[in-house]
Amino acid sequence: MTRRLKVAAQLVALGGVAGLLALLVWQLGHQHHGPGVGAVAPAFSLRRLDGAGKVSLAAYRGRPVVLNFWASWCEPCKSEAAVLERDWASYHSRGVVFLGVDYHDLASDARRFVSAHALSFTMLQDGSGRVTGRYGISQVPETYVLDRQGRVVAHLAGPITNPGFSLKFRSALAEAAAA
Amino acid sequence: MILRFFGVVALALALAGPAAACARPRTSLTYLEGQVMCPTCHTTLDQSDSQAARQIEVFISKRIAQCATADQIRSDLVANYGQGILAAPSHKGFDLLAWWLPVAGVLGGGLVLAFGVWRWSRRRGPDEPDEPEDSGLDEETERRLDDLLARFD
Repeated sequence: MTRRLKVAAQLVALGGVAGLLALLVWQLGHQHHGPGVGAVAPAFSLRRLDGAGKVSLAAYRGRPVVLNFWASWCEPCKSEAAVLERDWASYHSRGVVFLGVDYHDLASDARRFVSAHALSFTMLQDGSGRVTGRYGISQVPETYVLDRQGRVVAHLAGPITNPGFSLKFRSALAEAAAA
Repeated sequence: MILRFFGVVALALALAGPAAACARPRTSLTYLEGQVMCPTCHTTLDQSDSQAARQIEVFISKRIAQCATADQIRSDLVANYGQGILAAPSHKGFDLLAWWLPVAGVLGGGLVLAFGVWRWSRRRGPDEPDEPEDSGLDEETERRLDDLLARFD
């Protein structure tokens, strides 16, 4: 009986260790690193910041898309906003779609930010960071440029106003619009 | 830390405006700070100095100034950021596991321990009186040995 009890206790302990290992593997498997260049961008559907329904990325298949992740508390996002708006104004006639994804932010503050910077492209809200996490965003601002097939042409982890990123962003935009 | 706290409160009050005057606040920033997570740094607000945390502190202070209760403020935050903004898991669905698993673990451990102690005490049996050991000597020899030993007492 004692031996049986000992075996049962050992089995329970082994089960516990196996459970913890399974949890670790699951966690590692669910870590998102974001899509690399050439990969198809993860699909999503997010609420519009102005509250007028939802927008899905799939609706823009066939058009180049600029996905900009930002937040109202992010300082570099402020200087980037004007540049994005200017680029949106010059590229939207060529069919390029600009989507701003507001991340881990209060909707009221985000709306104030949009109004203060007179941003006119579509703004979406990802308060929980669910979608942002799938793009591997660790800091804002970050920008993805997608081609007409929804594949990543460029990923800029930082403000597009950075000297190194400015040229890269424009060439990615030109590439996405031409493809 | 104290300067930051007063800075946040002062800013919130300034932003809240005259309509937000609340004579008797129903909760406090210090009470909620430990219950709300900073979404970007994954610590509670009282442990964080990030911009995102400060923004939420300002929001909480504004809502406190509007006489909102802690529950109302928590639901506002959950509506905006999702359930993950709260430091403690909710009391429903899958999250219940986080509350009950430790209790079940302690109870299970206690039961196993109690069972082990019970089995150990049963195997040992009740205390029995000590019996004199058999020396292997006959009665006469034992009597003579006792007499001999008695001389040395």
